[in-house]
Amino acid sequence: MELMIFAGAALVKIAMVMIVVLLTVAFLTLAERKVLSWMQDRMGPMEVGPYGILQPIADGLKLFFKEDIIPSGANWLLFSLAPILSVVPALIGFAVIPYGPNQEMEIFGVTIKPFVITDINIGILYILAFASIGAYGIILGGWASNNKYSLLGGLRAAAQVISYELNIGLAIIGVIILSGSLSMVKIAEGQAGGFWHWYLFGGLQIVGFVVYVISAVAETNRLPFDLAEAESELVAGWMTEYSGMRFAFFFMAEYANMILVSCIAAVLFLGGYQSPFPHYIIEYLGFPGMKWVEAVVWFTVKVYFFLFLFFWIRATLPRLRYDQLMRFGWKVLLPLALANVLITSIVVYFVRQP
Amino acid sequence: MSMAEPMKLSDWIKRFTFYEILVGMKATMTVFVQRIVLRSRKAVTFQYPHEKRDLPGTYRGMIALLRYNDMTEKCVGCDLCEAACPSRVITVISDEVPGEPMKRFAKEYYMDMARCIFCGLCVKACPVDALAMTTEYEWSVYNKRDLRLNKDQLLALGDRNFPTREEKIEHQHHNVTFFNIGHQNLPPMDS
Repeated sequence: MELMIFAGAALVKIAMVMIVVLLTVAFLTLAERKVLSWMQDRMGPMEVGPYGILQPIADGLKLFFKEDIIPSGANWLLFSLAPILSVVPALIGFAVIPYGPNQEMEIFGVTIKPFVITDINIGILYILAFASIGAYGIILGGWASNNKYSLLGGLRAAAQVISYELNIGLAIIGVIILSGSLSMVKIAEGQAGGFWHWYLFGGLQIVGFVVYVISAVAETNRLPFDLAEAESELVAGWMTEYSGMRFAFFFMAEYANMILVSCIAAVLFLGGYQSPFPHYIIEYLGFPGMKWVEAVVWFTVKVYFFLFLFFWIRATLPRLRYDQLMRFGWKVLLPLALANVLITSIVVYFVRQP
Repeated sequence: MSMAEPMKLSDWIKRFTFYEILVGMKATMTVFVQRIVLRSRKAVTFQYPHEKRDLPGTYRGMIALLRYNDMTEKCVGCDLCEAACPSRVITVISDEVPGEPMKRFAKEYYMDMARCIFCGLCVKACPVDALAMTTEYEWSVYNKRDLRLNKDQLLALGDRNFPTREEKIEHQHHNVTFFNIGHQNLPPMDS
């Protein structure tokens, strides 16, 4: 009985998170086009619905009803597997993201945490592990298409994702040293009490933060690091031969990955759901029981800040050349991340002397 | 900056603070704020099928055949437009006006607008100002043969776009005239 309640609560949480994430993915496509066009003196989608707000639905319907083409020279199994390998790791990472305070709730005698699907003690490691699997989707999709452009895009993506994953892993080590835990819930909890306790400011993880944000943009294959897609060079890179729902899966994976890395950045560096003030505003107003609402709002604001940053960078910067990308990743970001790890650990060692 | 000379301190600071990137991001953010927050900037693009650009009076669109105000055709079937056309758009089959042996007219007149480069040389070449360029441009068709316009279609274009017509003046006796009007009376600009 207890197990059933626990499983039911978990399923409800998973359904909620998936609905929110997929809706966000759908409307991020619109938001991206709108923000880009506003920054470039254009209007963006205006036809479907008022100011084009129903455009994602139209796009989704179109992709859903499109003919599903598998090229004759393609490897059928891997060609079909690649979109799934791409989208599942992107969505599965949300399992450990705490999007509200670490409260506990009793339902029929069973204790559950309503604001995180599962609080495993290696949360960030789990996300990094699955993010690496996501790269397989790109590489296999590029190879299985039997297309030169796809293969080139897949190879570029392989090299790029591997290079920048390393930097992500090293950039967050500073935060892990400060928090002393790999659990996302514990990391977010450790930053309570105002923005000067966030690891970005309080932990002085500015270098780690910058390295993480740049590497996250590269990891999600977004501009200015979209060498794998590179529509002016490689048609659509590894997605060239994909159409219909398979293409939609790749698209969903890209945007879900954007949301995921934004969530990680918010939790690790900006305190996750923590208010930038010592207490939640709603507590000052006299409703301490409702503080989880404000916590979720703070988390959403921080995540959307990063998503907007992605659009903003995309609107501003041109694509890097391949050698520039590799040089930047290995010769600039990697030493910076290593130095950050070294200095953080030394400082933490001396500050926390017993 | 050449790599030979050592970088100045300010250059190093600029490089490590991503100064140039931040300048670019400021530019895009300025436009964004002007568009969304201050509302002082409008999009430069048009929502095309709903709103259209104002065309200049000299716009070179579809070519039309014109009539006089007594609804007779201006064209005298002289073939000069066909001769002037660089891409062989125009086919004129001229004939005598029945009963008036010195007067000619275009029995058939074809323009294959799929080949037209809209240079306007036919309009220049016409001695009786029977041709004019309209501002029509929305002529997409599913079959390119549909763009081979006959005389009726070209006259309809002229009727549609130039409602004010030139007055017909017989300069010479109708039996001896060849071109019956002076030249270079272009259609009014504001039509």
